Amino acid sequence: MSRASVVIVGSGAGGSVAAWELTRTGHDVLVLEKGRNLLPGIGTAAGIRHIPFANDEVKAGRAFENQDVVLEPRTARTQADAASDVARSFVGDVNTLPTTVGGGTVHWDAKVPRFWRQDFHGRSLYGPIDGANVADWPLSYEELARFYDVVERRLGVQGDVRAMPETTLAQAPRRRQFAMPPNPPMLAGTRLAAGAATLGYHAYPFPMAVNSRRLHGRPRCNSCGFCSGYGCPILARGSAAASFLHPALRAGARLRPRACVQRVELSANGRRAVGVSYLDEHMRERHVRADVVILAASAIETARLALLSASTAHPNGLGNRSGQLGRNVMFHLFTLGIALFADEPHAWRGPSTTFTIDDFVGPDSSAGARATGLPYLKGGICEVGGGLTLLEEADLYTVVPGTWGTMLKDAMRTSPLRRHLAGLSMVGEDLPQLANVVDLDPTIRDVYGLPVPRITHTSHPFEIAASHYFGPRLGAICAAAPGAIAAGWLPVGALAEATGGFGSPYAGPASTAHILGTARMGRDAETSVVDRWGRMHELDNVYVADGSVFVSSGGFNPTLTIMALSLRMARHLAGRIG
Amino acid sequence: MRRDPVLLGRRQVLRGLGVGALLGVVTPAGLRAALGTATDAGASGGRFLTAGELDTLRAVTAHLLPGPSDDPDGGALEAGSAEAIDALLGAFTFDPPLVHAGGPFSNRAGATHDDMADFVPLDPIAELGWRIRLEGSQGRPERSFAGDVVGLQQLYRDGLARLAGFAAASPADRDAMLRAPETIDFASLVLSDALDVTYGPPEYGGNRGLVGWTTTGWPGDVQPRGFTAREVRELDGTPPTALDRDAARAALTRYVLGITLVDPPAG
Repeated sequence: MSRASVVIVGSGAGGSVAAWELTRTGHDVLVLEKGRNLLPGIGTAAGIRHIPFANDEVKAGRAFENQDVVLEPRTARTQADAASDVARSFVGDVNTLPTTVGGGTVHWDAKVPRFWRQDFHGRSLYGPIDGANVADWPLSYEELARFYDVVERRLGVQGDVRAMPETTLAQAPRRRQFAMPPNPPMLAGTRLAAGAATLGYHAYPFPMAVNSRRLHGRPRCNSCGFCSGYGCPILARGSAAASFLHPALRAGARLRPRACVQRVELSANGRRAVGVSYLDEHMRERHVRADVVILAASAIETARLALLSASTAHPNGLGNRSGQLGRNVMFHLFTLGIALFADEPHAWRGPSTTFTIDDFVGPDSSAGARATGLPYLKGGICEVGGGLTLLEEADLYTVVPGTWGTMLKDAMRTSPLRRHLAGLSMVGEDLPQLANVVDLDPTIRDVYGLPVPRITHTSHPFEIAASHYFGPRLGAICAAAPGAIAAGWLPVGALAEATGGFGSPYAGPASTAHILGTARMGRDAETSVVDRWGRMHELDNVYVADGSVFVSSGGFNPTLTIMALSLRMARHLAGRIG
Repeated sequence: MRRDPVLLGRRQVLRGLGVGALLGVVTPAGLRAALGTATDAGASGGRFLTAGELDTLRAVTAHLLPGPSDDPDGGALEAGSAEAIDALLGAFTFDPPLVHAGGPFSNRAGATHDDMADFVPLDPIAELGWRIRLEGSQGRPERSFAGDVVGLQQLYRDGLARLAGFAAASPADRDAMLRAPETIDFASLVLSDALDVTYGPPEYGGNRGLVGWTTTGWPGDVQPRGFTAREVRELDGTPPTALDRDAARAALTRYVLGITLVDPPAG
């Protein structure tokens, strides 16, 4: 087969990288994207222009690029609910991602740490954890490193190797300096970094796919502050769309927005995909044939699509003879530190945060950690020096019922939690569990008439304990920051867990765009869904190229690793079909 | 990132309720004039609400976010928040619908044209979502795939009806009316929407005279100018708003529910 036709479901981080590589190697690529295209000019000679994103907090809350939960709700329940046959205990926004061309990286924070060597060998290095499904990945950091290099070069990543801790470089070795120097350090981050230093912790410039100088035809970041959660108005951020999908389209790939894939269509014997069916913007059913199908719709939607593709040959869902499909869904569990200052460190200026701390990644098997009853604890990296925007601040004050009138106006004016605040957040590793699963809701349908995904999830005691173990250290950093007059820490993920999960008042602050697991990668077809390259064990030509394949969540923002894995898969596939 | 406020709590059973007839369609360029007319006329209705409903909504928003003489700074009334909420309820009387402001820049930070005033058209699927959100499912099969939904228009119509007499009530009675069990959910809805339009970009029809930004020290949208490296790295020269240790601790304790305080070193 010299020129294979490839259909990619999803235009986000994994799908765009696969499209770029497979187009580059001569294949006929069609990308089907459920969302609309909000990047005019993508794929044209003129490039992306007339960007509709702006410094606009209202639009960010009005389902612009985000999944519209009125059209596509999700449902959720806890493991205890499931044991009691409760169909669902929440309907609405369950860690949704942008549903648009470019996927989540349209408004990502663009923080791109690499996973560490130890993340790929968790079971071998540290052993099992009761109640969790800890396993090794079927690959090593060394196998992924060169793909990290390529993805970073295309994205354009800033950072400073010389400032990185020895532990970090030992766990995630790098061959060269970053393409760009760091952005100007945010004052709020500088304060907290100084606090960390007094306690022996090491803050350093956060590697991020943000231009600190003009690169790849895109301008430098001007620190407007509307970064995480906002589309970049000037395209200073690297992204799936700008860095991979656009050049793929220029090289001949095709993009079809508003194409909701509802089924992977199979050969008579069920061994091969022959194409997909989808609904277009007018809800008309369409069919497209393909030699290869790549699922890259994100961990929840990919599992859902595979379940929707059940057939006689795959009665429990595509590639799910093992019963593993949808299991092990992981979300990072965040813990916050907060410092208030008498002066105003304007934490809203800059690309969300400009520093990170690796000291709580772990594992920590000290006596203190083992006192929790677990053999070790792991936290994650800390994003250092973030703040709140104006409407986020208003939302926070009005969490207290009846807070309005002059009390609210005074709070907005004095602004203790915006003008005077700097925070840090720890990206806590979430252990995989077989009982944390994505399946199809038995009743509720979306606008396309398809069963919505139902997420059953309860945090493991491991991540709850880790949050309470590392949280006081975050508070201590905040208290030690020069000029801090009040400080504290908040186990926001653990609080959400304790007060209703996705229906909790804490669910908003605890929500995460880090969605992983559901189609685990592994060598054993009885305990995993895809092989070490991302191909479904039971199918010859169906691949998965998103966070679904993660075996563990690590304590790191996962998108760079999603992209590197997708590139590795695509190179393997190109060699196989080329 | 702000989460979409429309969750299960706003999905209630619809009981054969109709929808107000849409008014004539105007372009976003006519928004300011349209809103200004509604405000100045006083007795006229809004894009969706009747004149009486709009008066009640003005009084409610003014109670939630007061201005002179109850507060030193302008509030919801001065921001035009009720008119902006009405404009959202009547979003489909504008073409494109008044839902998503455009981009990438306004003309407030160095650009010559206000791109944000050019609202982004909705495609058919996005429009369906916003029609459900605003108008409700109305028993239509194409809107009821996830169950019946009461739209914001009906929630406002019913909520404002329950607050008849609010504008003429004393301040104490107003507060009691909003805190009543049968009203508190609606008060929370109005507050959420009023915050959006009082403190959000003025292109949505509120925040008139940038009252929401000038009274809070918020720079608003800053593209394409952005901030200089020095502005990012260093303190501004202006005196900060007053905040001492006690006030800082009180704010954390009151508003950050579940926080564990850690005392900074004295001095």
